[in-house]
Amino acid sequence: MMEKIVFALITVMIIFLLPPLLDGISRKVKAKIQYRVGASIFQTYYDLQSLLNMEPILPTERLAFRIAPYIAFASALAAALLLPFGSFVPVAFTGDFFVFLYVLAMFSVAMMIAGFSVNNSYTNAGANREMMLILSIEPVLGVAIGVFALNAHSLSIGGIPLNITFTPSLILAYVLLAYAVYVEGGFIPFDIAEAETEILEGPLCEYSGRLLGMFKWAMLIKRLALLWLFVSFLVLPIMKNIIDITTFTGGLATLAVQLIVLFIIYSIIAIIEASNARLRIDQAIRQNTRVFLAGLVVLLIAALGW
Amino acid sequence: MKYLEELKAKFGERIEEIKQLAHNQWLITVDKDILHEVVVYFLKHPEWKETQLSTMVGTDERPLRGKFSVIYWLSVNGNSDDVYIGIKAYLPADDPRFKSVTPFHKGANWYEREVQDLLGIIPEGHPDPRRLVLPDDWPSCVYPLRKDFHYSDSPQGKKYYPYREPPQGTTVHPIGPYHVALDEPAHFRLYVKGEEIIDCDYRGFYSHRGIEKISESRLTYDQICFIAERICGICGFTHSTAYCQAVEAAGEIEVPERALYIRTIMLELERLHSHLLWMGVACHLTGFDTGFMHAWRLREYVMWLCERLTGNRKTYGINLVGGVRRDFLDYRKEMIEDVLKKLKSEFGKLVDDLTSTRTFIKRCEGVGVLPYKLAHEWSVDGPLGRGSGRDFDVRRDHPYAAYGDLDFKVPVYKEGDVLARALVRIEEIWESIWIIEQALDQLPGGDILAEYKEIPPYREVIGTTEAPRGENVHYVMTGPGNTVYRYRARAATYNNLPAVPDMLRGYTIADAPLIIASIDPCYSCTERVQIVDVESGKVRILKEEEFNKLSIKASRRV
Repeated sequence: MMEKIVFALITVMIIFLLPPLLDGISRKVKAKIQYRVGASIFQTYYDLQSLLNMEPILPTERLAFRIAPYIAFASALAAALLLPFGSFVPVAFTGDFFVFLYVLAMFSVAMMIAGFSVNNSYTNAGANREMMLILSIEPVLGVAIGVFALNAHSLSIGGIPLNITFTPSLILAYVLLAYAVYVEGGFIPFDIAEAETEILEGPLCEYSGRLLGMFKWAMLIKRLALLWLFVSFLVLPIMKNIIDITTFTGGLATLAVQLIVLFIIYSIIAIIEASNARLRIDQAIRQNTRVFLAGLVVLLIAALGW
Repeated sequence: MKYLEELKAKFGERIEEIKQLAHNQWLITVDKDILHEVVVYFLKHPEWKETQLSTMVGTDERPLRGKFSVIYWLSVNGNSDDVYIGIKAYLPADDPRFKSVTPFHKGANWYEREVQDLLGIIPEGHPDPRRLVLPDDWPSCVYPLRKDFHYSDSPQGKKYYPYREPPQGTTVHPIGPYHVALDEPAHFRLYVKGEEIIDCDYRGFYSHRGIEKISESRLTYDQICFIAERICGICGFTHSTAYCQAVEAAGEIEVPERALYIRTIMLELERLHSHLLWMGVACHLTGFDTGFMHAWRLREYVMWLCERLTGNRKTYGINLVGGVRRDFLDYRKEMIEDVLKKLKSEFGKLVDDLTSTRTFIKRCEGVGVLPYKLAHEWSVDGPLGRGSGRDFDVRRDHPYAAYGDLDFKVPVYKEGDVLARALVRIEEIWESIWIIEQALDQLPGGDILAEYKEIPPYREVIGTTEAPRGENVHYVMTGPGNTVYRYRARAATYNNLPAVPDMLRGYTIADAPLIIASIDPCYSCTERVQIVDVESGKVRILKEEEFNKLSIKASRRV
């Protein structure tokens, strides 16, 4: 019982408090690449703190506008809670793999609600882009996780990484998953829906104060959830051969490795972001469609048992 | 000039006078009824391919001869000749009308609207006679550039502007007056279907500062140098150089050679910083912030250098009529060489980084295409024109300062997209470095400033320079007692900006900021003319009239 509480505490800390730090590190890495000093790695905490303390200015009376950030926050949180932290999975049941995809889509739906609830051509354009982007990338994510599920004969996110066996299609599935996670995370060149210089951050354009803070925090948590999924799929299959994950120390060691890999991956992403320009929505969709078709081929290979 | 005979044969009697103003400038006075025919004759002349409408000046000459006048200034470019032609017509004071050139040549659109706004001279048959320069709340029938209008007046009218109706099935997507992608206020009204731009309307001139009126009303020749430099915060030096050249031509002042070389070096340093600034902005607009930061880091070397050479990072303030105010000391020559060496190695790397960033190239390629034919019709200039295959550059075609002695290439691309404009600017940076190196090597000794006394009144002349954005044309009509009678500054963007709606059509709102930025627009340059327009909320509380009086009093003290 005691062990569970420890894990639960760590998990809560990771989900709520780690994302702003990761963002701060990413900002620092980019600053270094750009020969800048850059802000402190805690800057994102300060930003969130000041936003959350500010009264928002409401451009509309609609309830949808006010609750959209909370829906987004809840969805991102729900997605994160389905993932394995060491040996500990906060919420686990068979088929939670579908729930994961659903709640991620929910996040985008919240963005769309936010964008369409005000009469502003910038937010509407942003909501439109979010919709197109999500429609083109969710299938890729589905296919990628599907290949893993097929391989592991499991539909639970906690179970998949512990049961996979090494096949050629699995490597391709990792590539697909990495791509889908990157795109869905909205990193440059895929920050199309929130493009600042084009459409003034799209759906977030009319938000301010606490509501904006909630949205930003939710986005960071969503990124963490996506990356944590990838990290778990990468780390857990290796760790289970080295150490007994189910024990307390084994679980803690696995969690530590997950964290380290997460930091490394986040830094690599910062480097990719720093060396790219933003794509246009039609270019991104064309690319996603191509990847999706490739994904179907991978799924076919996996179905054949390779 | 060989074509004058041809012209005389064609129009005969109705040409009233032909006179040479400077070594490369002619002024042809014609009857007002054939004004548009003569202008179009030159613009469409088959042997002068790159002829373009450089500027147009309307003048209130009622105190002098009881008439208004308009002059269309055309420049003959390319390999044809080093010639500027002014075509002038006098209009009666009680009914100042002339036939519009715009139906035949789009490039005349803004010029004719401007004289209509500021002088009340009406271009008949203009397809879009809406207000262009004056603010929305300026009363009608008040014409600020007429001589009977005092520069401190600021009349108040009702606020109204007739925007175009959106085409059917489209929604309005406003970019500006304030938008992160615009560094200065401007209002592009995009009519969009989804993300696709169907049409575009433009409203600008939000940053009028009344520079021309002030210059005509209360400044001397030398003072105008400094206000001319303040027309633009980025390419100000080419403005003051163009102005100085105009006055020097009018007064037949012999500028010392060393001053010409110093001007050349400063002009090219300014081009370096301006092009680097543009590259940074283009990167930023596409989300490529690494390119942005590095471009601006390199630009900083140039800024520091300029500070050492002139005392200022920008707005150098070293031009005077007759030469320059500051000499280059020998050890500072070495500093220039050092900076050029650093730039050469690091700029090469930056260009490699940019061209190898696939996502960046993808955003620039095939976007915002301006075909050659349209480029010619709009009379666009500078890197925008050269990116669309217009082979002209004031530095080569009408050599000024020391450019006649120096060797450089003029890059021209035919594609006409954003990438072509970027490549033109990249190559121009290399050329600028090369020009500065040559000028430093050949820098002659001697004086840097020529003295002048009285400049004869009522001489008309223009001075032109190739700014980083294109051709700058400054028209000066001298007045009595060493003041100007009429001053008209035309910045490069004035010719380029009207072409933007044609470049936006058919692309998406994602491309819009990049396309707008690709002409390297400079709104304050374009909008130098009018009286102070105060619109902020604070001022409203103060009451505008009071505020205007206060601010004028404050500036008088200076």
